[in-house]
Amino acid sequence: MSSPLILLPGDDVPADYLPSNASAPLRLGTGLRLLSQPNPTPASTPSNHVLTATQAGILSTDNRRNAVSILPSSNRRYIPTPGDLVVAQVHHSSADYFHCMITPQSPHALLGQLSFEGATKKTRPMLRGGDLLYARVLSTGLGAGTEVELTCVNPATGKAEPGGLGPLNGGMVFDISTGMAARLIRASSSSSDQEDGVAGLVVLDELGKKLEKAGGFEIAVGRNGKVWVDCSNSEEDAVKATVAIGRCLTTIDEHNLNPTDQRKLVTKVLRDMKIES
Amino acid sequence: MMGGPIASLHPLSRADGSASYKCPSTGSNVLGSVNAPVELPGRRDALKPEDATIEVFVKPGTAPSGVGERYVEGILRGALSRIVLGREKGYPRRGVVITLAILGGESIGRGGSYLPLLPALLHTSILALLSASVPLSMSLSATMLAVNPSGEIVRKPSITDARAAASLHVLAFTSKGHLLLSESEGRFNFDTWDKVYENALAVCHGTSTLSSDGDVAMTENMDTQPLEGFVRDTVEDHIRAEYAWKVDAA
Amino acid sequence: MASTAADSTAQAAPTAPPSLILPPSQFARLQPHAYLLAHLSPPASSQQPSLRANGRSPSQFRITSANTGSLTHTNGSAVVRLGDTTAVCGIKAEILHTEDIPSWSVSHSSSSLASNKRRKLTSPAENLGADREDGSEETDDDDDSYIEDFSLLVPNLSLSTGCAPGFIPGAPPSALAQSLSHQILSLLRSTRIVRSKDLQIWYQRPNLGREELEVHNEDEQMDVDVEQDRSGGATPEPREIKAFWVLYIDIMIISLAGNPFDAAWLSVLAALRDTKLPRAWWDVDNEIVVCSDLVSEARKLSLRGLPVASSFGVFEADAAAGWRAVLIPDAEEERKIADSERKGIRRRWILADPDGYEEGLSLERVCLVVDRDQGGSGEVVIVKLEKNGGFAVDRKELKQLVEISAQRWEDINQILGQC
Repeated sequence: MSSPLILLPGDDVPADYLPSNASAPLRLGTGLRLLSQPNPTPASTPSNHVLTATQAGILSTDNRRNAVSILPSSNRRYIPTPGDLVVAQVHHSSADYFHCMITPQSPHALLGQLSFEGATKKTRPMLRGGDLLYARVLSTGLGAGTEVELTCVNPATGKAEPGGLGPLNGGMVFDISTGMAARLIRASSSSSDQEDGVAGLVVLDELGKKLEKAGGFEIAVGRNGKVWVDCSNSEEDAVKATVAIGRCLTTIDEHNLNPTDQRKLVTKVLRDMKIES
Repeated sequence: MMGGPIASLHPLSRADGSASYKCPSTGSNVLGSVNAPVELPGRRDALKPEDATIEVFVKPGTAPSGVGERYVEGILRGALSRIVLGREKGYPRRGVVITLAILGGESIGRGGSYLPLLPALLHTSILALLSASVPLSMSLSATMLAVNPSGEIVRKPSITDARAAASLHVLAFTSKGHLLLSESEGRFNFDTWDKVYENALAVCHGTSTLSSDGDVAMTENMDTQPLEGFVRDTVEDHIRAEYAWKVDAA
Repeated sequence: MASTAADSTAQAAPTAPPSLILPPSQFARLQPHAYLLAHLSPPASSQQPSLRANGRSPSQFRITSANTGSLTHTNGSAVVRLGDTTAVCGIKAEILHTEDIPSWSVSHSSSSLASNKRRKLTSPAENLGADREDGSEETDDDDDSYIEDFSLLVPNLSLSTGCAPGFIPGAPPSALAQSLSHQILSLLRSTRIVRSKDLQIWYQRPNLGREELEVHNEDEQMDVDVEQDRSGGATPEPREIKAFWVLYIDIMIISLAGNPFDAAWLSVLAALRDTKLPRAWWDVDNEIVVCSDLVSEARKLSLRGLPVASSFGVFEADAAAGWRAVLIPDAEEERKIADSERKGIRRRWILADPDGYEEGLSLERVCLVVDRDQGGSGEVVIVKLEKNGGFAVDRKELKQLVEISAQRWEDINQILGQC
């Protein structure tokens, strides 16, 4: 990979940074737009289209999907996009829906009472205000003032895909930046044997190794900048281990630690909390 | 010689985007935040159906805001609405709210000139917009120049220079070199303005366009980078720090 | 003009059923941008000149008229019409005693009479022989800090209810009204149009001694030199400022059809030219300011120059009219396009004195305030330049606009000369 290219709004994307796969159509991600030359003069290049950045960020290309986009700032507010996994909190329920909070500043998202795996009128989960959910954004609607809809089931198959969608019992929620959440999702979904881990994160692997003896842990990462952690298997150390994991994640997020420092931090935190590994 | 401006990106954690900017020569210090896209309740009829509504609020540090703030808010809104791409996905019918708090510098009385603060306000807004990832068509840079009574152009004028000046000029250029904004007051003629234009373009975009009248300004231009580069470096440094894990890995 | 619009609609849809043909007024409301664009770019075959929807050429101003002295209870007033935009300006002068200015005694060592009684303006008393009208001095004193320090000029602009459809009763001053007030105040200050000398009310001590006369003359030349007064602290100065005239300048836009600033500023200018201040002096026995009620003794303000405002709006053929966003060319490329523009299709028009309809369609605004040097040369001097909201107006365009504004100055000078 060549050195990352940082673009500012109005900068053209250089042609040699684009994926070279000419057969498939190029997919444009966030932060880029296609502009056409207003007055194509005969002297100009045959293709009179220009790719221009609209946000400041690192240009990221994906040769496999033939996609190109600009990585957004990691501290930005979460804006729901269909397909995102989020950790939501039930606020109240009405006849057909649970009204859930995804971010404190946005209006409540709707979750159908029957949008759970195998749910019928009789078997649907009875959730109360404050209960946590791991859900997928189904639709966001168009324009202002429209509601975000969530689901805990894949509408096509009727299964909770990927596993784990649905109510989250026990555990704790920690706030992280949206950029960190995206990295954690990438890191946890693809297991790699690289030395530096995926997306520069080794913390989950490290914690998993160290806490294996104590019973391991469960984690659900929401794109909305929330992580749910549970260590109910590790009996008397459950709370301590949960807090330790949360502390590791938030510290790494705040200080942008590199893999070596992440390993050191995990060891230090676990030692401070007196958790045997 | 005083150093260049000082800026930081994203000093506020709750806002979608924020920036602080300090200009040493005029002493102006501005903190700005941007929230976008946000719902603007209660003003449905005033919202444009296919475009974002840009709102700018300027809060003076020590005094309640008055007519001067309404005026400068109008200027900023006019300049920024040409740069923000309000038709991008998720923005139409929503608002881009920019709040600028003046933390330091000369306070401006009723009817006083807002020109000395204008470059700082513009830079803070553009940096905050960039930090909020609001889609923009280009970025901008702005500068103030004073023409003293003997007809010389003073770069980076201090407040005292500005008071003594025969005319004051604020010019803003987009990153593609368009003249986006020009506000001048005092007595001057068009030829003076033309020279001011050349100088301002040199301050914002480097010396490339400085014409043959190589005056004193040439020498002092060497030690400071053009403002356009300053905006770019500030943003790039921030992104590098944020994506350190990715940049280092590469 | 209506016929042109009807023509263009008919051309656009010649085969459409009759029910789909819109009268021009409806077309203008439904598709304002296309309507104005159709007027400005007539088909080449029609041999018509590029005219705006209101029948003016791009650089043509609306018919302007000014009438002064219409309001009898003011010291000066004017009604200005700029097409359908009408501004009324009334100037009321009131007396501000230096004793009522908190910072006065600190900054000026002149408050020998320490009395905090409220003064009232009473009918003119018998004038004291020692009092003398000043104003005969010809020195163009540059000390106008009084006007700024003590807010001797207080402009306020209001957009009255119903002047345009958006203005409803009981609403707070709109952002537009506030920023116009600010623009007028800052222009009054930066042009220094009103002389501080005209607003000062003096007290002349009676001449008691023989040498006093010499000192008096010397100080008169110095005018108000505070340092001088301080250094010679022991001897009481023969003249001192006892009060100021404060000019309350109220502007009301009673009909708003675009370009409120030009109309408002022109009304201020006309009203200031009309303003007469009564002769006033300090009555030392009664410790009050006394005014003469003789009209013949009232003085006009001696204004500095005649700054005239001209505003422009830029109308652009919508680049996003097609579905795809269009690349905005660099400034360098822009200039090349501008040169070749005359051959091809025009994309932008700079419209002088835009009316309300055109204002709603133009993002970019230019406001130029120009004056001509009074010192014989007649050189055009720009006193204020504002350009905001777009990329169309660059150096070349501004140069042309300065020329148009200079022409406009001549017209306004003539109009004001007649009233």
